[in-house]
Amino acid sequence: MALAELHEVEFAYPGAERTLGPVSLALEPGEIVALLGPSGSGKSTLLRAFSGLVPHFHGGRFAGRAVVAGLDTRTSRPASLAGTVASVFQDPEDQVVMTIVANEVAFGLENLGTPPAEIWPRVERALADVDALHLWGRKTVELSGGELQRVCLASALALEPQLLLLDEPTSQLDPDAATLFLAAVARLGATVVLSEQRAGRVLELATRVLFVEHGRVLLDAPTAEARGWLAAHRPRWTDASVDSTQTSTRPGATVLRLRGVSHRYLPAVPLLDGVELELRRGEIVALEGPNGSGKTTLARISAGLLAPQAGTIERVGRAGYLSQDPGRYVVRETALAEVALAVGGHERRSQAALEAFGLGHAANRHPRDLSSGERERLGVAAVAVAEPDLLVLDEPTRGLDPDRKAELAAWLRAYADAGRAVLLVTHDRDLPADRRIGLCVESTQAPLGVPVAV
Amino acid sequence: MSPGPAAALLAAAGVAALLADRIWGVAAIALVLLVVCLRAPAQRRSVYLYGAISTGIGVLVLSPFLWSSPDGTVLWQGPTIPVVGPLDVTTTELAEAALNALRLTALALAFSAYALLLDHDRLVAAAGFARRSALAVALATRLVPSLERDAAGLAEAVRGRGVELHGARGYATLLSPLVAGSLERASSLAEAMEARGFGAGLPTRAPRPPWARADRLALAAVPVIVLGAALWL
Repeated sequence: MALAELHEVEFAYPGAERTLGPVSLALEPGEIVALLGPSGSGKSTLLRAFSGLVPHFHGGRFAGRAVVAGLDTRTSRPASLAGTVASVFQDPEDQVVMTIVANEVAFGLENLGTPPAEIWPRVERALADVDALHLWGRKTVELSGGELQRVCLASALALEPQLLLLDEPTSQLDPDAATLFLAAVARLGATVVLSEQRAGRVLELATRVLFVEHGRVLLDAPTAEARGWLAAHRPRWTDASVDSTQTSTRPGATVLRLRGVSHRYLPAVPLLDGVELELRRGEIVALEGPNGSGKTTLARISAGLLAPQAGTIERVGRAGYLSQDPGRYVVRETALAEVALAVGGHERRSQAALEAFGLGHAANRHPRDLSSGERERLGVAAVAVAEPDLLVLDEPTRGLDPDRKAELAAWLRAYADAGRAVLLVTHDRDLPADRRIGLCVESTQAPLGVPVAV
Repeated sequence: MSPGPAAALLAAAGVAALLADRIWGVAAIALVLLVVCLRAPAQRRSVYLYGAISTGIGVLVLSPFLWSSPDGTVLWQGPTIPVVGPLDVTTTELAEAALNALRLTALALAFSAYALLLDHDRLVAAAGFARRSALAVALATRLVPSLERDAAGLAEAVRGRGVELHGARGYATLLSPLVAGSLERASSLAEAMEARGFGAGLPTRAPRPPWARADRLALAAVPVIVLGAALWL
């Protein structure tokens, strides 16, 4: 008997056109389902249909029937489904309720009336499952994005749900942490629906694949069969579809030179220690390293937004910087005005930049009404429009589907080839790079902040 | 120390600062609270300390002009402004301004210590009634560091595009996106809470360690501090 079923489910958010459906499918116990599809295709909405958040929380027009563990989501509120269904959403910062990690993981258990004697052992098990037991007493406000994401997963695991819904849960994790995370998911034994933009690792784990486009399920097949379909119809969703090995043919003059750069936030814990880095025109350099290794700090120093505590910086020309999660930091009322900010309101240049990133249609929309992938692209457009000599992008592929990522990769190559330099903070090997520089964390053998061959 | 007695102690310190009439007494309370706040991580405490101290300085500077006393020596005499009256500064006004500034600073420091150092989760758990209201207060307290982080992120996003923010007017342009962002965050948080069973039924509470002797002593000290401030300070 199926654990969860959708019968001809259709949904439209208030005031919007249909986002999902009609969709009919059934989830069997123990299945691990990879939910793939472009940005804005309805993946998150499909997940919310299983948890009842659509339509209960969002309103809108809902048709059809969704049944989870025998409960009809039209008559059962999401809170009453919570013991059966657990969700981890895209942005970990927006789902943390409590101040201390252990209390955060215990929050759902307390809400569900779990016997008090069982709560701490279950919290401990859940944190251990995601390799986050050391975070037990830490304040949630002091955690990195990757650490928070693991805490959010532990909060879901602690509920021991029959159905676990994960919406791009590895988007802020480094590759090792993502592998650990997915291994923890595989050990669960629950039915898991895992929405992802990076299909490679997920396909290793999944038993079944759903491919969604324009709100409809185009593919519903076992993984082996799905690989063939993806290769034939959506090749960029399979591995090694993007050529990231192109290199600059003629690197030019130096744009950025860091010498002996050191920085620390806590007195006894150096984050960067004697970093040497040089970027030339025409080059793309990628910074890699585990969560907490100082990549963002080095990027901010390179862009001139943070003064290092030691070392020298030589920069030629202007620098532009795009932070992680740029969709959160929009400052204007329309996408066009957002981009125009960097060029003194020059609308023609701004419109051209929007079109270069496939956002020409959204010029007059409010940036907060765009999807997460669209917001990410808007962020790049808003920085790149001024054509800085050094473009620094921090995790620019978060929320981007493979097609958009390939477009960004091509754009970055062209941008560098036009005589500018690009510094990327990314774990994503699909983006082009002439050099990849690894930063180490304190516990490793290699010296801090020293470029390591990758 | 458990957060309940610690919160009670901080509240007592705040009340004592309001009740005390001697400037050295209020200064001593403010100093103790400042030392307590310094136990928080430097990155997090700076915004709270800046807020507390600048509020006090604001009161110290403005109140001699807004409140007039005929007593004391006149240190400076200015024009007479309609509605406000004569602008002058006397030693009495200055002393009163300093006292009020210290009171306000002490109160702000007590809140800072509460926000920075206490385990709000345990306070929520300790609330025998009105748990939802206690949770709302805890979430509102957490809003301060979230807003601080968002404001820094917005300013950096603008600077990252080569646009410099100048003066209060420049930063004021970030207020609207800051509010919009916090509303968006609140909506997402509400959705996450609903998905995690908030309000589903009768909740239980994870077992917490019982009060230690220090907790009971702290609670006993609360009325002593308040009475002591009212009678002797």
